[in-house]
Amino acid sequence: MRMNKLRADVLALLFLLPFLAVYGLFTIWPMIKGVEMTFYKWTLIKKMKYVGWDNYSKMFHDQDVWAAIWHSTIFVILTTPTMIVLAILLAMIANRKSRLQKLYRSVFFLPSVLSVAVASYLGLFIFQPYNGFVNTLLHLIQLLPDNKEIFWLTETNLSWIALTLITLWWTVGFNFILYLSAMQDIPDEIVEAARLDGATDSKIFWNITLPYLTPITKTIAMLQIISSFKVFLQIYIITGGGPLDKTRPIIQLIYQTGFRKNDLGYAATMSYMLFVILLVLSAIQYFVNNRKGANA
Amino acid sequence: MKKSYGLSVTALLSVSLMLSACGGNNNGGNASPADSSAPASSAPASSAAASESAAPSDNGGSGEKVNLSFWTLFDGGDGANMQALVDEFNKTHPDIQVKNTKLVWGEYYTKLITAVGNGTGPDVGISHTSRLPDLIDQGVVTSYDDVAKDAGVDWSTFNQNLLNATVVDGEHYAVPIDTHPFIMYYNKKLLKDAGLLGEDGKPVLEQSADGFIKFLDALKAKLPAKTTPFALSNSNDDPYRLWWALYSQLGGNDVVADDLKTAAVDADKGAKAADYIQKLYTNGYIKKNDPDFYKNFQSGTAAIMMTGVWATGTWESTKGLDFGAMPIPKIFDQPATWGDSHTIILPTTKANDPAKRKAAAVFANWIADNGQIWAKAGHIPSKPSVLEKEEFKALPYRSDYASVADTVKFSKPSTKVWQIRDNSSFKFLNEVWANKMTPADAMAKMQAETQKILNE
Repeated sequence: MRMNKLRADVLALLFLLPFLAVYGLFTIWPMIKGVEMTFYKWTLIKKMKYVGWDNYSKMFHDQDVWAAIWHSTIFVILTTPTMIVLAILLAMIANRKSRLQKLYRSVFFLPSVLSVAVASYLGLFIFQPYNGFVNTLLHLIQLLPDNKEIFWLTETNLSWIALTLITLWWTVGFNFILYLSAMQDIPDEIVEAARLDGATDSKIFWNITLPYLTPITKTIAMLQIISSFKVFLQIYIITGGGPLDKTRPIIQLIYQTGFRKNDLGYAATMSYMLFVILLVLSAIQYFVNNRKGANA
Repeated sequence: MKKSYGLSVTALLSVSLMLSACGGNNNGGNASPADSSAPASSAPASSAAASESAAPSDNGGSGEKVNLSFWTLFDGGDGANMQALVDEFNKTHPDIQVKNTKLVWGEYYTKLITAVGNGTGPDVGISHTSRLPDLIDQGVVTSYDDVAKDAGVDWSTFNQNLLNATVVDGEHYAVPIDTHPFIMYYNKKLLKDAGLLGEDGKPVLEQSADGFIKFLDALKAKLPAKTTPFALSNSNDDPYRLWWALYSQLGGNDVVADDLKTAAVDADKGAKAADYIQKLYTNGYIKKNDPDFYKNFQSGTAAIMMTGVWATGTWESTKGLDFGAMPIPKIFDQPATWGDSHTIILPTTKANDPAKRKAAAVFANWIADNGQIWAKAGHIPSKPSVLEKEEFKALPYRSDYASVADTVKFSKPSTKVWQIRDNSSFKFLNEVWANKMTPADAMAKMQAETQKILNE
């Protein structure tokens, strides 16, 4: 019996081998190499010299690093809850039985097919002053006097708003689909029974729909936190991390350190800090989900 | 047992997913010698212009054919002109064949550095003068001194101001082919409307701090409200270049000291220059947060604009734009402006083959000798003799600003020039332009930040 089991494992491993070989060579090995880099001064060309824990101690005292991590955190805080609320709202609209159901579904999902560069440049055109969509619209409906402009991309607070809106618009589609399918899994009998008992729409939403959405919400929240923490390109394209590096996320700092400042060792050190942060977040999610026995 | 396999595989997978963000952005480091070589046909036939030039006598004598790979970072008009030059060179030099590989400018230096590091770099390359010190420090470029004489490179035929900026520790590391300084363009029609265009087609402008303001005031008062008196971006390169020009006009001498280890922002001069420019923004001469100041000037809605000479070619091909070009006005004590040069370098190669190196030097010198073709994009040729050529004189506008080559204030040969610019000067000056920081504060911060960068 034991032998059989062992054989099955060996066999499974054999089938996995081609994948594992490539995976090991191109993912695991570079990760190990990356750890090595953190202990060296390492330029784009070559390993320069061993510096021990210098990169680490420098990182813990580097205000730019902490500021960048804080900016990534701000982005997570801004986008995660809003994303969940927006995705649920859109899913509810698209879940109503109506003739426009199909249209809603495609329209809500459509922005997700854009690449990040396209979405960001559209965002740039939407928010730029003088001839951008938003300001022109505000002028048109007289909310903004003709001689005034709102500088969405160069004021720190406004640029966070602009970045959040663009990201929501661009990525909400995927989460919307997840919610929509979760909503369609809610058994009709339960909703019908509730209606027979005289429950209002809002009661049905709070007591039936939302509880049924809890597992998927946990998953979405986690995916969202991790992907928001990795934010880079849309900020890089839209604000470039400005004004005064006040929207620069950690990945942009890593990129600039590695490829602009030619300091891969230090950049690798920051990457591993980001890695640890994400690992901790994932672990928290794992335990939270497992304790309640939910199958997210 | 099974479960634990599954778990660890899932764990690995998720780990790699998390890392993929970092990984995904890192591909800039991959050198791809597999050249995406541009179609040679894209070059306009401008060979007639080149044929007259420097006699192709200096081929090195030997009958062996030498093939050179040449990496460039030019696109648009620059790219076409360089391809035309390369084609012409290949035609007139049967024993040296140059293959031009166009790389994207944003990735050029990263690719060059990594490729040279792997031993897969080109035989000849392009570098900005301001990038040279860093490339030398990293061992990416080699000195011309061993081959220059044999190849017939006569250093005295170059503009000495441009040449000196490429000499490090007494060695010639590059053949400058141009300079592209920061100059001023003006819209003749709008200036005429405002009564500020002289009989000679040049602006009526007193070259002083007050004179320039008066000029802008007149433009603002006399032109329609929708017209921008002075088109300039509100952040990064171009206002920084203007600041550098004015700072140098006041006698400021770079932001690093001669030892290249100490930050040396001249706070008084720097603040005076920054204050002057800040007022251009706050007094409304420059459109606030202009999304595209090139377009603003190009579409004829801005009276003057300042940027590098490379814009000349663009304005020329714009229908209905009647413009002029001139050096930056002498606002303070002495004429000076920002500028950089394109140079041809000999990257370190595995073999460092003397025959190839010599051929490369011949090529570089020939390109400099035929600067009239290169000048089509707007650049100022690096050899004064080219300025005397009929083909150059036949190009309009260029002669109006060719004299600027002598007053370009280059940055000192610090390996950190670009870092200081991107991570310190841009950052704080941008705040000054947005009126969120006083010029004096900005200078203090630039001094501290520059020192921090130099210490790294």
